[in-house]
Amino acid sequence: MPRTVKHILCVLPVIAAFAVLPAVYENHLLLFNFMIFMMLAQGMNLIYGFTGYLPFGYVGFFGAGAYGFALTVVHLHAHPLLALLAGALAALALGVTLSPLFRLSGAYFSIANLGAALAVYQVVSNPNLESITKGPYGVSLNGVFDPTFAYTTTLAILAATFGVIVYVRNSHFGMALQAIREDSISAAMAGINVVRERIVAWLLSALIAGLAGGAFAWYVSVFYPETVFSGEFTIFAIVFSLFGGNGTVLGPILGVTVLYGIYNGVGISTPQYFQLIYGALIMLLVLFLPNGLASLLRQWGIDVP
Amino acid sequence: MLRNAFCGGLLAASIIAGPVFAADAPAEIKLGTLYASAGRYASISMPVHYGLKLWIDQKNAEGGVFVKAFNKKIPLKLVAYDDQSNTATAATLYNQLITQDKVDVLIADSGSVLTSVAVPIARDHKMLLIDQTGTGANFFTPDNPYIALISDPVSSIWPKPLADFLTQDGPKLGIKRVAILYATNDFTGTQANAVRKFIKDANAGVDIVYDQGIPTETSNYTVLLNNIRASNPDAVIHLGYAPNDIAFLRNVQDSGIKFKFLFCIYPGLETELLEKNVGSKGLNYVFTYVPSSEISYEANFGMPLKDYADAWQKKYGNTQVEFGFNSVAGYTTGLVLEKALSVTESLDQLELRKAIFSLSGKLKTLDGTFELDQNGAQVGEITPLGQLIADGPNHVKFVTVWPHNVSTGKPVYPRP
Amino acid sequence: MFVYSLLAGLLFGLYFSLIGLGLNLVFGVMRIVNLAHGDFLMLGAFVAYWLFTLFSINPVPSVFISFAIFAVVGIPLYYLLVPRLLRGKDPEMLSFILFFGLSQVIEAVATISFGTSERSIPGGELGQAMASVESFFLGTAVDNGPVEIFGQTFPAAWIVSGFASGLAVLFVYLYLYRTRIGYLTRAVMVNREEALATGINVHRVSAIAFGVGLGLAALSGVFAPFMLGSITPAMGVDVTVTSFAVIVIGSLGRPLGTVLGGLIYGVSYMLMQSYYSSWANLLPYVLLVAILLVRPSGLLGRQVRRA
Repeated sequence: MPRTVKHILCVLPVIAAFAVLPAVYENHLLLFNFMIFMMLAQGMNLIYGFTGYLPFGYVGFFGAGAYGFALTVVHLHAHPLLALLAGALAALALGVTLSPLFRLSGAYFSIANLGAALAVYQVVSNPNLESITKGPYGVSLNGVFDPTFAYTTTLAILAATFGVIVYVRNSHFGMALQAIREDSISAAMAGINVVRERIVAWLLSALIAGLAGGAFAWYVSVFYPETVFSGEFTIFAIVFSLFGGNGTVLGPILGVTVLYGIYNGVGISTPQYFQLIYGALIMLLVLFLPNGLASLLRQWGIDVP
Repeated sequence: MLRNAFCGGLLAASIIAGPVFAADAPAEIKLGTLYASAGRYASISMPVHYGLKLWIDQKNAEGGVFVKAFNKKIPLKLVAYDDQSNTATAATLYNQLITQDKVDVLIADSGSVLTSVAVPIARDHKMLLIDQTGTGANFFTPDNPYIALISDPVSSIWPKPLADFLTQDGPKLGIKRVAILYATNDFTGTQANAVRKFIKDANAGVDIVYDQGIPTETSNYTVLLNNIRASNPDAVIHLGYAPNDIAFLRNVQDSGIKFKFLFCIYPGLETELLEKNVGSKGLNYVFTYVPSSEISYEANFGMPLKDYADAWQKKYGNTQVEFGFNSVAGYTTGLVLEKALSVTESLDQLELRKAIFSLSGKLKTLDGTFELDQNGAQVGEITPLGQLIADGPNHVKFVTVWPHNVSTGKPVYPRP
Repeated sequence: MFVYSLLAGLLFGLYFSLIGLGLNLVFGVMRIVNLAHGDFLMLGAFVAYWLFTLFSINPVPSVFISFAIFAVVGIPLYYLLVPRLLRGKDPEMLSFILFFGLSQVIEAVATISFGTSERSIPGGELGQAMASVESFFLGTAVDNGPVEIFGQTFPAAWIVSGFASGLAVLFVYLYLYRTRIGYLTRAVMVNREEALATGINVHRVSAIAFGVGLGLAALSGVFAPFMLGSITPAMGVDVTVTSFAVIVIGSLGRPLGTVLGGLIYGVSYMLMQSYYSSWANLLPYVLLVAILLVRPSGLLGRQVRRA
């Protein structure tokens, strides 16, 4: 299995970096955000890169995870690890509820997914549900505030996420997904259970986003509904995974490192042109490099894991 | 040789004696803050930021701020980042200010939402959060000493003048039925809760006949206005952000509905903006908060209103940032810091807190009387209730009507 | 209360039909998801604002001016962006992202140029236009304020925009069904490859449709200061999402469907506002998902399912 080993060797340095950097770079929140986006980009990679469906409401799972975590802590006073699990389950439940959307084609799926995510946001932030979700007034989780523990747990989740992607990339399952993406009818004729494989990929990616959301809620501990349901998370996930190159392990990692790094760098140096630069970057990316950096590397003969 | 020994002795003496004096006096006091140049909160953030900067530039022109701990004037350095109204970005940037830039004083961005993310971060790093205008009542808890609200009254007492007017002067004018329409977010929702509670507790025969929360993104009130009219209120209170107030007042004007008493928040806090978008006819006889930018409070520290307004015009007159309540807030933050630094024993965060709290009840600025409760919430700087009177096609003047001891005229009721 | 909400919903819904019209055209013809639609609306609104503030031009002529400006801008913009996009793999999805980037660029430029404060045009302006039309047709001088319909009063702006919406639908209908270029456009809408095979200059047809679509967005933007209270550079995103809901409910690719979608959205929104006001914003998304699951082709349209 040399290929799988090679892939694992590619992701190990990333994990090691995140484990070691907090000792030398004090803005831990920034490192944490990098990890969150790594997870979201990989989750997006899984669903868009491997199945070709673009969930424009991906943040719905993130928010579901965050609120699952928060509500478990607030109402059941659960231990954070248990609450994380609850968050993951919430995201999975949402994924199951939304799986009928797969009957729709391309753009319709994306729009419907966006609508669903916004619907969840509206429900959660509704003042009538204030006693359950604290409505639009935001959640404050002072009791479980423990950035170090949260950071370490997130690192573990990130490692697991990478593990899943490496597995998918190298397994039958991954190949089946790619076959479905290219031509679902032929894939079905070749004996692949199209619907089941897709659902599995969908739920896996929902799970990843849910865990990321729960970890986020744990780390920041104070947030409004619009913070965890912000369309920005979806957009960034899409752009990062697109930039790096979908359908690969390394692509999203590259995408997050380069683009999110630029985002933070630009944000600190030339803020007024921020949105302009980022928007233009996205446009250039789609027009000139739609298959991401990975495709560029492949053109030069380098095999991208 | 004797001279060498003498010099050596002097050197030794100064080395030993050095730490006794202000050997730790920093070259500059680093102030860290965030501002939003774009996005939803830009219109309340930029004026506050500019007000703070005006104070900083003024002080630096004088050689800096006097810090008692080192017994000298030290110049100020501002480290400011743009959070683009994004809370996740703001959180990362607050962290950056504390951990990378190692600022001496942490000042929050404007408004409850952008302040909220700073509260746990400041607490975790044991840094005092200088909360400028974040009035969310749940920031101020007994177990968190690392916060102080400087320039705005906390949301849970802000509407007291309005409620007092309605329950004390109101019945004499014939006000018995009140309608409340509010946007469901931290700022206005808390004020709605406060108004409701004050009115109910007053037991003055004033009833709430309509009480609805609507999403903050609402931009169309025509149907809501019709429903409010159906409940036949004597007074209508609308609590929303500036875009909500603009849409509300325009819809009132366009639909021809006549309400006897109308209250909105932002005609007071962002008068120029509302004048431009609603016009003086739409604002005529509307009740609102009278902001510190309209009342010349007697200040025992810092510039009084007129001088500050002139200084603002000179410095920022040609920018698109409007002068008003929020610009006063930024300057007030500066004044409080100045006074606190002039009495603080050290730059330690809890010492700074002690210094700031010592000003409570004694400091009077152009923003009113500075007063903190034990959890750091601002209970001074209350904005009185006033009525707007049209003064030309695009301008309105304020007439303060409550409390009586600061009133400048009688309220006009019902609205003609 | 119910009757008022119903009537208000119909009028307000007509405005949203107007907004959705341009988006529908672009998606129907090019299968491109124009996520910058709301931002073009915003630009149209600002054109009207600046024409009014600087040159005292009434919003009504601004409607035509805005339309013309953006229809003309749309054509080179199409050629700049779309052919490249279509060459890649999966252009439909990539168009999402491309136009999102465009929307950010537009919003950024607008913010830098205009600042973030809210802007408005006094309601009286449209009222005046209304009054002059009324006095022309009815011969009587009327107050330029609210208008009465079935005994309920509504702001004049609503009537004017409803009227404009009707005219716009008529215009699109005539364009698609009575002109040669419209005929070609419909061919492209049905099957792009086949149209190309029959010798139709697909790019040219699409570019013109794109221009018209953007022009319609800008045109609907002129009414935004009246219908939505005030305009800011950041308003585009929310408008785009709502207009998607509107066109999907109706059906993609048919102008009448958009009208239906707009009316349904408007009426249900106003009714929600009356009876369950805090849930009002949930409605469009629930409707969107429900329609897509139950009848994805929309209430009037054709099949769009995939395996």
